[in-house]
Amino acid sequence: MTATTRRERRGTIAGLILLLLAWEAAGQGGWVAGGALPAPSQIALRAWLDRGDYPAHILGTLRTATAGFVVGSLLAFVLGVAYTRWPRLQRAMSGVDVTIFAMPAIAIVPILIIALPGDAPRVVLSALSVYYPAMVAVVLGLRQADPRLLDLVRVHGGGAVAALRWVRLRGGLPTLLSGLRVAAPAAVLGSLLAEFGSGSSAGLGTYLIGSLGRADPARLWGIGLAATALSALAYLAVGLVAARFAGDTVPASTPVGTAAGQAAGEVRGWVARSMPLLAFLLPFALWEAGTWALRLTDVSEIVFRDPAGVLAHLIWDEGAARNRGDIAAALAQTLPFALAGVALGLAVAFALAIVSLLWPPLGATLLPLSLVTQSMPLVALTPLVVLIFGRDTGGILAITVSVTFFPAFVTIAQGLALVPPGLRDLISAWGGGRGIWLRRVAIPWATPYLCAALRLAAPRALLGVMIAEWLATGTGLGNLLNEARGRMDYGTIWSVAVVSVSVAVALHTAAASLERRVLRRFAFAS
Amino acid sequence: MTLFRRHALLAGAAAGLAAASPSARAQGLRALTLQAAWINDAEFMGYYVAMEKGWYQAEGLDLKYLPGGPDVIPEASVLSKKADVALSTVETVINAITTQRAPLVIIGAQYQKNPIGIVSLASKPIRTPAEMIGKTIAVPPVNRLTVEAMLKLNGIDKSRVRIVPYAYDPTPLLKGEIDASLDFTTNVPYTIKSKGQDAVSFLLADFKLPLFNDVVVVTRDTLARRRADLVGFLRASRKGWDENFKDPAAYPPKYMETWFKGTGRSLDNEIYFNRAQAALMQHPKGVFALTPEAIQGCMDALNEVGIKAAQEHFDTSLLAEI
Repeated sequence: MTATTRRERRGTIAGLILLLLAWEAAGQGGWVAGGALPAPSQIALRAWLDRGDYPAHILGTLRTATAGFVVGSLLAFVLGVAYTRWPRLQRAMSGVDVTIFAMPAIAIVPILIIALPGDAPRVVLSALSVYYPAMVAVVLGLRQADPRLLDLVRVHGGGAVAALRWVRLRGGLPTLLSGLRVAAPAAVLGSLLAEFGSGSSAGLGTYLIGSLGRADPARLWGIGLAATALSALAYLAVGLVAARFAGDTVPASTPVGTAAGQAAGEVRGWVARSMPLLAFLLPFALWEAGTWALRLTDVSEIVFRDPAGVLAHLIWDEGAARNRGDIAAALAQTLPFALAGVALGLAVAFALAIVSLLWPPLGATLLPLSLVTQSMPLVALTPLVVLIFGRDTGGILAITVSVTFFPAFVTIAQGLALVPPGLRDLISAWGGGRGIWLRRVAIPWATPYLCAALRLAAPRALLGVMIAEWLATGTGLGNLLNEARGRMDYGTIWSVAVVSVSVAVALHTAAASLERRVLRRFAFAS
Repeated sequence: MTLFRRHALLAGAAAGLAAASPSARAQGLRALTLQAAWINDAEFMGYYVAMEKGWYQAEGLDLKYLPGGPDVIPEASVLSKKADVALSTVETVINAITTQRAPLVIIGAQYQKNPIGIVSLASKPIRTPAEMIGKTIAVPPVNRLTVEAMLKLNGIDKSRVRIVPYAYDPTPLLKGEIDASLDFTTNVPYTIKSKGQDAVSFLLADFKLPLFNDVVVVTRDTLARRRADLVGFLRASRKGWDENFKDPAAYPPKYMETWFKGTGRSLDNEIYFNRAQAALMQHPKGVFALTPEAIQGCMDALNEVGIKAAQEHFDTSLLAEI
């Protein structure tokens, strides 16, 4: 260990201790939000008193999250292999994939709960949360294969299967496993959200809904930190398995900055021209098929809608004009905040990435805090957010930033970590300081990654605003969804779900096209 | 695969939730599934007591109990045949019947008087709808229409009250960030007291909104096919509630390791709840009573706010057979 890293590690430890002490003092003194932020010691004491409750709930969440993780990653693996073999399939499926990625969980949980029995909604939401990041990593890993090795297989008469078997799987394993590692915490959060809604059998989400009425922030933080710990353990456990299979070549995380997950390979002619249309239509076809599957079960016609049913609700049913008006008015409230939230979320992510790069101990101190914001269920943090930021613009933006900044931060930090060290030496050799290096090297270098971060953050920002509307402000699409549930107005519920997914997909597509343009301009396109 | 087999498999996939357990089948019991309106708490004591005492079995029923939650819509559960009987709010049930043509019917009412009310702190009390003017009130989004209806019935323009979402956590009320919240008055005042403050509340029922709550709802189809079982369910459940109210402190301790295990709520809280709800449920005609006067009052209030309630949405004949 060099002297620098030892000094940095000491700095990080000191930073973490300082952070913990400040939190303790703020909690004890009731400085934050009139005492709504509990001190770490109060949280620990409460957790000790509740120790009899935790094992069953942790096991419950672990059970459905594990099942969801296995289902989601198997699906990701099978489709990822198929996409690598047949790039056209990936183009055709791109609409479905982006829909799964951009789907706001709060819109689909009530639908999953009514359509599926028992614990199935927990497993399905968890699998859906895992699928997209895992699939991106599988495709990226398999495509990364060394072309010379592929040629070698071909020279020896091997086909695509042999290439997959001998080269792609082996070469891609580290990336693939690191993708699964990033996806593991998503499985925990997916299960928890569905538990919260269904309140059925044991799980941390069930414990949370029962505990909300106690006005006991220490309990809520205890549950949230248990969820965080579970996510971190999932991350580490998959990491350990990965290290066992792939040795120490596992990259730190998936290089999402390379426009991964977008289909490669040239397709020409009418097939190519019809692909976008197919990609657009396929999600609707699957939706229609799902509706038919539901019809074969006992789920009531009153609770589900097929594409025609949503169109009817919005266009030709009695009262369609009012239905359209309701949704348009709600969207007009939600969308500006989503756009502002993306911008602010990216700014925070970028600032954090720069801070982590220039002052590593400070970055390492802030990282655990960032992780907590990712796995703490937001409903447990709502009182704190509304007490600090209010129930207007401030509260909405705070929640939206907390939902968007983390994946953006990871992506930008990866980009900055790849800045060739020689450039830094060059700047300092010419007498330039950190400011010059930042302006002339780091920011231009990070631009493509910033675009990738934008693509990841945009759909999440819409989700963040909807959560804030649901929890804090009572406005916009998030509120409309909830009120419609009170009226059992499934036409509106499905319409809001469709509109929010469409807007999220549109934001994602716009960001992806911007990214492609930037990548071309900076000559990073492969 | 025949449709019947598919259903059998789905029932099996539900971890036996809807299928009769082997021992129950051996005793010739018929499965009946109840969808509750919320997570396990004192709101559903009567059913737990009746199950423990074997009173459903005595009626030939094997009762399965499904807890509710924020995303569970009880009416949707019976419409989708996940459950045979559900407990829900009268306004959503009748709204579903009249606007969605849902084939539902109400056969009893657990709460004669709705426990839902506006809860504020004694230090900043709100005792009447008029005192809500200019205040910030947290209301669960699913109940927003009900509160707006109450304001309208009391001649208050809804724009004069700021309604924000309530996420079931009283902390913002305790910290003064909001002035009141809409919740079960049988429950939240306990929490507020346990935090060293005093609560003031009024029931919506006392201000021109005399609605039932936790009405017992079934589909028309179930009513036609399983009438005797539903009468048996009501009879056993009423016995359970009567037994429970003999001493509201007697049964909650028995369920701390079973029904209430891991819900995160305390025994004292359940006993407080159980005591407070007795007066809202008990009736000279027995628990679940649907008297003509009460139905009329409920319908009038609903009609005032645009929900076209009618006599045919209630079937009082099963109670008469108990």
